[in-house]
Amino acid sequence: MSEELHRSHPGLSRRSFMRGTAGALALPSLAAFLEACSKTPASTGGASAAPTFSVASPTNPVKWDIPTTNKAIASGLTPEQGGTVNIYTYVDYVDPEALKSFEAKYKKYNAKVVITTFEDTTEAITKIRAGSVNVDIYNPSYDQLGKLVKAELIQPLNHDYIPNIVNVWPEFTNPFYDQEWRYTIPYVVYTTGIAWRTDLVSIDVGSLANPYDALWDPTFAKKLSVLDDYRTCMGMVAFRNKLSPNATSAADLEVIHKQLTLLNSTMSPKVNVTDYQDLPTGAVSICQAWSGDAINMQSYMPAGKSPDTLRYWFPSDGKGAIDNDLLVVTKASKSPVLAHLFLDHMMEYEVAMGNFSAVGYQPPQTKITPETLVADEFIPKNLASAVVLPAYFDAGQRSLELSPADDQAWQQIWQQFKAGA
Amino acid sequence: MFAWPGILWLALLFVFPLYVVLALAFGSLDPIFRSPVPAWNPLQWDASQFTYVLQHLVGDDGFFGPAIFRTFVFVIIASIGCLAISYPVAYFVSRFGGRRKALILGLLIAPFWISYMMRMLAWVNLLQTDGLVNKALSVGGIFPVHVAWLDGRPTTVVLGLIYGYVPYMILPLYSGLDRIQPSLLEAARDLGASRWATFRRVTLPMSKPAVLASLLLVTLPMVGDYFTNDLLSGSPSTAMFGNLINTAIQVPAQQGQGAAFLALMFVVLLGPMIYYIRATSRQEGETV
Repeated sequence: MSEELHRSHPGLSRRSFMRGTAGALALPSLAAFLEACSKTPASTGGASAAPTFSVASPTNPVKWDIPTTNKAIASGLTPEQGGTVNIYTYVDYVDPEALKSFEAKYKKYNAKVVITTFEDTTEAITKIRAGSVNVDIYNPSYDQLGKLVKAELIQPLNHDYIPNIVNVWPEFTNPFYDQEWRYTIPYVVYTTGIAWRTDLVSIDVGSLANPYDALWDPTFAKKLSVLDDYRTCMGMVAFRNKLSPNATSAADLEVIHKQLTLLNSTMSPKVNVTDYQDLPTGAVSICQAWSGDAINMQSYMPAGKSPDTLRYWFPSDGKGAIDNDLLVVTKASKSPVLAHLFLDHMMEYEVAMGNFSAVGYQPPQTKITPETLVADEFIPKNLASAVVLPAYFDAGQRSLELSPADDQAWQQIWQQFKAGA
Repeated sequence: MFAWPGILWLALLFVFPLYVVLALAFGSLDPIFRSPVPAWNPLQWDASQFTYVLQHLVGDDGFFGPAIFRTFVFVIIASIGCLAISYPVAYFVSRFGGRRKALILGLLIAPFWISYMMRMLAWVNLLQTDGLVNKALSVGGIFPVHVAWLDGRPTTVVLGLIYGYVPYMILPLYSGLDRIQPSLLEAARDLGASRWATFRRVTLPMSKPAVLASLLLVTLPMVGDYFTNDLLSGSPSTAMFGNLINTAIQVPAQQGQGAAFLALMFVVLLGPMIYYIRATSRQEGETV
């Protein structure tokens, strides 16, 4: 899942609120009171300061600074006795068994793991900045990383606590968005493609000259859905037209705009993120889908319906939308050692595979191949195309962070699409 | 002196939230997080987000216009639908409920025990192509019915609104109708008025404040409703005003526009509220 579901707000910390309230009691000015309440964290530079963080891309990899005010924890520390690891993530995005096995592993420290969920990253970052939730581990997408580092909301990692990094694809020890994996470990990888049911769709979408055309095929009008995520959905339109999913030229954006308008007027698609339920239940016949959701669909097939009818298409040459989510430790973590150990725990092969089985999203474990996943019955053969291969990260294209102006242009097109104009 | 609790209540729950909305609508953006930074000082208000919304309401670039127009059409039809169902029900209970009024009322407010969202989710199941609604319409398979209720139909959204808001209309209507003195109706009948004339010349005029209040009670939340459309349609082709706000709030850098939409909605809804206050005041004056 990428940025849109993953979205942000100025902070109103309890401390500043209380300070502001005291001021209000002394001074009658409502504006002054509210001004006092609205102090944003100093590190964000306030409303008028120009942002100075880099925008990472494969051609412009970024090694984030480790400021003296935000050092990694020291090596060799004892885990916090009675500590709690608070994980802030999406609903159903972490296997409960992974939490239990971590608690069992660190039982002598009486470690606890608590999950708190958010709907989207706008809400998540707002609450993290405000300090209104206890968060030790957060689940961002990489295009938020610059903001999180610059605002010192996350802390650099001490690699000594995370030896299981050797279990994941080597590129994640030096990803473009975080060279030397200073702040992040990879959590899951996923592609974005098209899912359909063979009993509802008579054509083989993957065999079409341009499989994305299927979503504009009037045969499926009102029986399809696209993902409610502006980068993902508009990126798909870009792929259909051989454009970059990070297109910024006015001409390219106009193409995307026109085709989205056409999609609305001729196909009347549902725009949501419940495709993993809608396709199995037949509410739609075909949909844009994340690979993890496509794998999950087999669990939602109604009784009596075979998951053999499910299909997922992603370009076999890997030239499609590819992304990954991350795990980071917040600067405000009260149990940073346990938080580091939890990151390590999630990269242990058995734990990672258990998590894969529970949430449908694939960890970038080196041992995984489509053959082993099918053979081990992790996924049915008909969904083998939903397995993410390391090579996809060379051939595929990611949704990169856009400049504010370009991002605004993208959002305006999305806003028009969502308004049904 | 005795007005202070009321003033405090209004200040805390109305003036302060409204001021926050305005501060966001006229605020700026955080340069890093692209989130709205409220401008608490009105002298520092920046109208760009508000202007952006206004500029895209009508005209060639008025892409917000269709959703707003659609909202008013949906809300008007749904309100009329609610009234058409609620008035006879409330009238029946108040006039003929007798000793069973409490029981009937209890049954009428039973849907309140389940959250609005849960009720809508239930309809998502019932309205599936192979769901119970189509099965019921097919009368045991005699007339095959395969209506795709959930494929983005305005009708489904309007019916969902009617279903969702009917209970909110029945109660105030019942309350208003039940307060009408039976002796007035008897007097009308004694003076020779037919049942229909009694209803038209006594009951209906006397229930006007209740009708207005109940209309207000359902239309105001309907205008801001977004999840009825989200759950029963999910298509942008049936997007309503509330969906515009919801979309703006979810997209980075557009939360200020969401606040501007809210402020705009407040201004638009102020009209019916003022009309209601004036109409009821006039009625009270006439009664006195």
